[in-house]
Amino acid sequence: MSVLRPLDKLPGLNTATVLLVGSEDALLQQLADSMLKEDCASELRVHLAKALPLPSNVNRPRIDLIVFVINLHSKYRPEKQGLCCLHCEVCPPLVCFLALAWPPSLQHVEESLHHVDASFFLGRVCFLGTGAGQEHHCSLHRNTVLKLAHTYRSPLFFCDLEVEDFQATMAQRLVRMLLICAGHVRGVSALNLLSLLRTSETPPPEEL
Amino acid sequence: MERHLQEQTAAESADSGGTGRAGGLPHVAGAQEARSDDRMTLLLRLRAQTKQQLLEYKSMVDAYEEKTPEQIIQENQIEAKVEDLENEIEEVKIALEMKNLALARMQLSTALKKNLEKNDTMNSVLMDNMKHILKLNKLVMKSQQESWELEEKLLDVRKKRLQLKQASERKLLEIQTEKNKQKEDLDNVENSDKIKAMQKNLQKEIQITTVIQHVFQNLILGSKANWAEDSALKETVLQLEKNLTMI
Repeated sequence: MSVLRPLDKLPGLNTATVLLVGSEDALLQQLADSMLKEDCASELRVHLAKALPLPSNVNRPRIDLIVFVINLHSKYRPEKQGLCCLHCEVCPPLVCFLALAWPPSLQHVEESLHHVDASFFLGRVCFLGTGAGQEHHCSLHRNTVLKLAHTYRSPLFFCDLEVEDFQATMAQRLVRMLLICAGHVRGVSALNLLSLLRTSETPPPEEL
Repeated sequence: MERHLQEQTAAESADSGGTGRAGGLPHVAGAQEARSDDRMTLLLRLRAQTKQQLLEYKSMVDAYEEKTPEQIIQENQIEAKVEDLENEIEEVKIALEMKNLALARMQLSTALKKNLEKNDTMNSVLMDNMKHILKLNKLVMKSQQESWELEEKLLDVRKKRLQLKQASERKLLEIQTEKNKQKEDLDNVENSDKIKAMQKNLQKEIQITTVIQHVFQNLILGSKANWAEDSALKETVLQLEKNLTMI
C-alpha cells in the first residue's frame, strides 16, 4: 500500500500503535524506549521508519498516530548530493541545487507527507521539532517548521530529545496522545483533541 | 527501512499468569478475588474502549457518506474553507458544553428539590445556607443599584460640563466674528470711493474759499480804505494768516 489510511483495519484489543518517522535513527530509538517505559494500562507498539512509504509486505496493525520528527540541527550533506549528481548526469544542475535547498530531515518528512492520506490529518498526525534549544546549531528555522505544521493543521511540539528529562516528558505526552487517538479514552476523540490543541491563528512575532 | 519494537505487557495479564495456583489458603482466595476484580476492571475498560472505537468508525462512515466537491478550489479559498470548518467544530463543541451545563444545572436542581422534599423543611443547614445566599444577593443587588445611580449622576454632571464648554465655545466664536466684522467695516469705510470723492470735493471747496478770501482781501487793500479801524474789515484781512484747512 502506498498511502497510509487511518482506521483502515480493525483495532487490536487493548493495543495502540504509533509510527515515528524521522531521519535520525538514534533519536527515534531513544524516544521509542522512553515511550515504552511509560506506565499505561494498554499495550503499546512503536514502529520506526526513516521515510514513507512503508513496505507493503509486512503485516502490521493499524496505525493510530504518526509522529514526524524533524531535527532542526540537521546539516546539509553535500557529499551525498554529489553522489546523486554522479548517478544522474542527465539531470540539469538546477535539480541538484533544489535538492540542496532543504536539510535532509525536513526533506524526508515532506516527501513522506505525500504518502499519508488526508483523513490522517484529522488529529492523528503530529510534528515534533527537536534541537530548538541550541540556537547556534540550528540550520532550520523555527518558522519553517511552524509553517509546515500550520499548513497541515497539525499540532507541533518542540522538544530537545537529547536531554533526558525533556525526552521523558515528551514521551509521556505522546503516550497520552496515542491513547486518545487509539480510542482508549472515553469521551475524547482525536478530532476533539486536535481542536483543543489548536494554537491561536496570529503569526508568531518576528524575531529581532 | 522499518523496524518495530515489542510491546509492554499489561499489568493484568502478568497478574493473571502469575497467580494460577489453586488452593484453599485464604490469601490465595483473596488473590483470586483480586484477580476477578482485575478482570472486571479490564473488561470494563475494554468495553469503554470498544465503544469509543465504534463511535469513531461510525463517524468516519458518516463523514465519507457526505459528497466531497471534486472541483479544484483555489489556494486561498481552501484556507478560508478550512478555517470555516474549524470554526464550525468549535461552535459545535461550545454548544455541547453549554447543553451539558444546562443539563447539570437541571439535574442539580431536581436533586436539591428531592432532597428538600425528603428531609424536614426545617432542616437547618441547607435552609441557613439558602437564607444567607438570599441575603447576600439582596445586598449585592442593592449596592449594584446604588453604584448604577452614582454613575448616572456622574454621567449627568459630565454632560452638563460638556454642554457648558460647547456654549462658551460658541460665544467666543461669536465675539471673534463680531470683532472681525467691525474691523472689516472700518477698513471698508476708510477705503470706500464715496469718501474719496467727498474728500476731493472738500479740497476743491477749500481752495475756492481761499481764492475768494484772497479776492476780498485784495479788494479791501486795493480800495485804500482804512481797514485797521473797522473791526469787520480787520478780521477779513487778517484771516490770511489762518490756514483754512484747520477750520
